[in-house]
Amino acid sequence: MTTEAIPQSEPTLDDALPQGIGKLTTAWILFFIAMVVITAVGVYAYLLQVNSGLIVTGMRGLGTMAGATWGLYVAYYVYFIGVSFAGITVAALIRIFRIEKLEPVARIGELLTVVALMLGALAILADLEHPQRAMINLVKLGRPQSPFFGTFTMVIAGYLFASLVYLYVTSRKDAATLAHRSSRFQGLYRFLAAGYKETSDQRATDRRATFWLAIAIVPLLVIAHSTVGFVFGLQAGRPGWFGTLQAPGFVVLAGVSGIGNLIMLAAIVRVATRTKHRITVDAMSWLAKLLLGLLVTYLYFTVVEILTITYQPGESEQALSEALLSGTYAWIFWGAIVSLVVAAALLIWQALTRQWSIGLIVAAGVLVNIGAVAKRYLIVVPSQTHGQLLPYPVGSYSPNWVEWAVVLGLFALGAFMIGVFMKVFPIVPLEEAE
Amino acid sequence: MNTKTIITTAMILTGVGLMVVSYLFMATPVCNTSITCRDPVTPFAPGVFVLGILIAFSSGIFYSVYQGRK
Repeated sequence: MTTEAIPQSEPTLDDALPQGIGKLTTAWILFFIAMVVITAVGVYAYLLQVNSGLIVTGMRGLGTMAGATWGLYVAYYVYFIGVSFAGITVAALIRIFRIEKLEPVARIGELLTVVALMLGALAILADLEHPQRAMINLVKLGRPQSPFFGTFTMVIAGYLFASLVYLYVTSRKDAATLAHRSSRFQGLYRFLAAGYKETSDQRATDRRATFWLAIAIVPLLVIAHSTVGFVFGLQAGRPGWFGTLQAPGFVVLAGVSGIGNLIMLAAIVRVATRTKHRITVDAMSWLAKLLLGLLVTYLYFTVVEILTITYQPGESEQALSEALLSGTYAWIFWGAIVSLVVAAALLIWQALTRQWSIGLIVAAGVLVNIGAVAKRYLIVVPSQTHGQLLPYPVGSYSPNWVEWAVVLGLFALGAFMIGVFMKVFPIVPLEEAE
Repeated sequence: MNTKTIITTAMILTGVGLMVVSYLFMATPVCNTSITCRDPVTPFAPGVFVLGILIAFSSGIFYSVYQGRK
């Protein structure tokens, strides 16, 4: 009798790492290639725009040119900044209210915040014909009277940096754990761990640091999102923008799109990293409840807004409300409302029956993001094309392929960054046993 | 108070101080009626504000990483 050796795959250096870190399957390689290609197309479109100017986009001047100077880029800038709401909110909830069931999704949220803020900054730079001027003049000549001062200082600098600090402080422990294992990333983990030792003193220090960071970041978060709302809400000469509800509306819709995105990403991560036992239905239901609270608040704001602009409107407000409710933008407006209402219905039904399904929670997450993108577009564009106080003709705006390519490139870049993070570092915090 | 607490507190106070000084005295938000104050009184006031944010939040990293003398 002869015995044959059973062929076994050679153990690799990274086998000791959890969550598939360092292992590139065919699906992952295809994913990275697709994201690089889409990003490259976006970069090509942007270079075309840099070389030829904004004339290659669908944007045109207001008034005599009957166009819109803020289009898809600004709509997605607002959207990306909104998405960044998720991470720090969830982190703050965990630290301040001790909702430990959300721990497994905390790092996903923190990463989402960092990536979304970077994409938001790139989206607003894409809107400028000479971004280099903005980078110099904002630092040199920014005026605190302008909401852009707050956008630059609070959102781009403060919020992004604070989120990076938070992400780092909460990741050191896992970096120290992984630094003990042989892998090609061992040097990186040692660097990130920065001498971390698992002691009661260190744990207490980290608890204090993350608690106070969360306390400091929450007001920053509210100020940052309100500031983006003020960019529109303080413009008295633009019907549809000027109003006290803009800032709180921006904060709440930011929460809706941010938590919706976090739900979608958490659902992908739990499958991709085989962490279904960590990111449980229970954790997802907490996110769903949070989303429901914010969504109902936003729907209330929307009803108040519609009643206000249709009750006794001036000439410009009437033209704007007609364009929104029954004119050019009606399909986007009612599409957004249907998306948000169906998402709310899905969540309410699950809350009433107390039977949560990850599929339905993710469906609600997708729907609120469709609604949020549409609402961001409607906040930015119609007031420019139909909200004229001077007797200019009604304008129009359609984003062209250059703008879509740049925006899709940004999405692909974000997905690429998240993918790289997942292949280098545990996106779900390690358990004690690991 | 140990060294770690002192340095962390100093970083937070320095950061907040830079934010307050740059906002109220270098960029002057109350000077909004005259064309002469359309730019900050001191150039790079927003940059100083951002520097303040960076120093204040860096204190979180210092507090977490600094081990002190054995």
